[in-house]
Amino acid sequence: MDRFTRALAAFFTYAFLGIMAFLSVFPFIWMVMGATNTSIDIVKGKVGIGSALMDNIRAFATTVDVPLVFWNSIKIALIATALTLIVASLAGYGFEVFRSKYRERVYSAILLTLMVPFAALMIPLFIMMGKLGLIDTHWAVILPTIGSAFVIFYFRQSTKAFPSELRDAARVDGLKEWQIFLLIYVPVMRSTYAAAFIIVFMASWNNYLWPLIVLQSNEMKTITLVVSSLASAYYPDFGAVMVSAILATLPTLIVFFVMQRQFVQGMIGSVK
Amino acid sequence: MAMSELSLKSVRKTFGALEVIKGVDLEIEKGEFTVFVGPSGCGKSTLLRMIAGLEDISSGDLEISGQRMNETDPSKRGIAMVFQSYALYPHLTVRQNMGFALRFAGVPKAEIEKQVMDAARILELEKLLDRKPKALSGGQRQRVAIGRAIVRHPKVFLFDEPLSNLDAELRVHMRVEIAKLHKKLGSTIVYVTHDQVEAMTLADKIVVLRDGRIEQVGSPLQLYSDPDNRFVAGFIGSPKMNFLPATAVTQNGQSLIRLDDSGILLPAGHLATQLADGTRLVAGLRPEIFKDGGDSSLLLDVEMVEHLGSETLVHARSGETLLIVKFGGIRPMKDGETIRAEFDAASVLFFGADEQRIR
Repeated sequence: MDRFTRALAAFFTYAFLGIMAFLSVFPFIWMVMGATNTSIDIVKGKVGIGSALMDNIRAFATTVDVPLVFWNSIKIALIATALTLIVASLAGYGFEVFRSKYRERVYSAILLTLMVPFAALMIPLFIMMGKLGLIDTHWAVILPTIGSAFVIFYFRQSTKAFPSELRDAARVDGLKEWQIFLLIYVPVMRSTYAAAFIIVFMASWNNYLWPLIVLQSNEMKTITLVVSSLASAYYPDFGAVMVSAILATLPTLIVFFVMQRQFVQGMIGSVK
Repeated sequence: MAMSELSLKSVRKTFGALEVIKGVDLEIEKGEFTVFVGPSGCGKSTLLRMIAGLEDISSGDLEISGQRMNETDPSKRGIAMVFQSYALYPHLTVRQNMGFALRFAGVPKAEIEKQVMDAARILELEKLLDRKPKALSGGQRQRVAIGRAIVRHPKVFLFDEPLSNLDAELRVHMRVEIAKLHKKLGSTIVYVTHDQVEAMTLADKIVVLRDGRIEQVGSPLQLYSDPDNRFVAGFIGSPKMNFLPATAVTQNGQSLIRLDDSGILLPAGHLATQLADGTRLVAGLRPEIFKDGGDSSLLLDVEMVEHLGSETLVHARSGETLLIVKFGGIRPMKDGETIRAEFDAASVLFFGADEQRIR
C-alpha cells in the first residue's frame, strides 16, 4: 500500500469512528444543552446554550422532592446490587467448584429462565407480591431482581479462572469452605465483583417497568419514574425534564468512571 | 522395627467405576526423601493428594506417625504441601502468605513473625516479605511456597511437581536448593515428578508407579542397575535403555541368548533361571554400556549423530531395531556409516515375555 491509499484508509476509518462517536455522545450533549433552554426553545429544536438553567432547576425542585426520590433510587439500587452479588457469587462459585450428579441439570434450568421474557412474569410476580403484602414497598422492586440468572452465569464463567490449587492450599492451611469463599475467593475475584457491581447497579438504577407497576405512592417513586412522569405530563416542562434526566444519569456515570479499570479487568478475568 | 513416618496399606481410590489407585502398600521412614515417579496418568499426583487429604481414600489405611489419618482434616494431618502452580494467595504479601496457616491455627502473632522470619532466612526471602506474589519471579514464588510449608513444621512435606513451571536453568538450580533444604531440615519429603532426572538426583527412595500400581520401590541406583521389569528399566535412565528382541538357545551344551537382529550370542550361564530353547526374550542395553574394549560388539548403521561435547549420542540401527548409543567425548562419525559398538555382555539385562526381569 502506498502512502496515499494508507492516508485515505485512515481518513475513512477516522471519519467513520467520528460519526459513530458523535451519534453516541450527541444525546448527552443535547440533554445538557436542553437543561439550559426553556421548554419552548427545546420543542423548537434549538441547539445551543440558553440561559434558563436556574429556572429549570427551580421548576424541577419545586415539583419533585429531589432528596427523597434520589434516596429511594440509591437505596433500591444498592440493596438490590449487594444482594444480587451475594446470591450470584455464592451460586456461581458453588456451581463451578462443587460436584454433584444434578449440577448441570439445575444450572441449565437456571439458564433457561433467561429465555422467559419479563412481560410473561409481570402478572404472576404482581400477584405474588400482592400476596406477600409487598405492593408499594421497595422490597417489591428489590426481591425479584436478586436471583439473576445472568449474573450467576457471569460468576460461574469467571470462577473457571479461579485456580483449584488455591482452594487446595487453603484446605491444607485449615480453612473451612465458607472461609475459603470469604477470605480467598472474594478478594481474589474482586475485579469480577466490580464488573458485576457496575452491571447490576446500572440495571437496577435504570429499572423502569417493574417499579412503575409496583410503586404507586409518590413517596416510594424512583428517579426513572419521576423523569418519565415529568415527560408525560399534559404540558411537559422539557427544561425540567432535561434537568431530571441529567440527575438520573449522573450516578451511573460516576460509578462507571470510578470503577472503569476494575470493570475492564473483570471482563477480561480476575485471575492472571 | 522402627515405626514408619508414613504408611500406606492397600490404599485404593475409585472414581465411580474407575479405579485409579489399585492397592498401594508403602512405608516411608522418618527423614526419607521419597519420590513418586511415573508417566502422566499413573496416579502419582492422586496418591499424593490422598496423603494430603485433598482426595478421599476409597479403601485401605493411611497412617502418619502411627496414627490412622483416613478421615482427618488436611490441616490436622501434620503435612504441608507445595503445589505445581505455587498456589500463593495473590491478595496477600509474602509475609502473610507464609504466616497464613499459623494464623488459622491460632498461633500468637509474635510466634508467627518469628517462624516466618526463620523460614525467610533459610530461603533468602527476607527482602521480599512485603511484596505481593505478582511482583515475584517464578523461582521466588516457588521459594515462598516452600517457605509457607516450612513455617508449619510438618511431619511430612508433600511436593506436587514443584519445578514443572520453571525454565530449565532455574529448575536445575531449585533442584539443588531443595536437596540442600532436605539436608538442612532432615524432614520427611514425598515428592511427585514425571522427570526421572529429578527423581534420580533428589530421592533416597524412588517409587515407580504405572497405572495406579507400584512397579518397584528402591534407591535410585538400585532402580537403575537392578530394575525388576522392563517398564522400570525403560523409565529410569536417560537416554532410555535399548530393547532388542532375543531368543534363548543352547550350543555345545552351553546356554546362550541370541540377539535376533544381529545373531550375536551372549552368555546366559550367569542367570539363575533355566531358559528353555527358543524362549522369546528382550535384551536391555543401556546406551552408556557401550565402550571400547568390551567383550561383545554390535554392528550398527548410523542414522543420526548428536554431538553434545562431553558425549556423543548415536542413533543407529541394528537390523530392525533403532538404538541410542552413548560414547564419552567427541567422536568423529557420519550419518550412514557402519560402526562396531563394543560392550560388556555382563551388563546386558534380560526380560521375559511378561516384561519381568530374568535374573
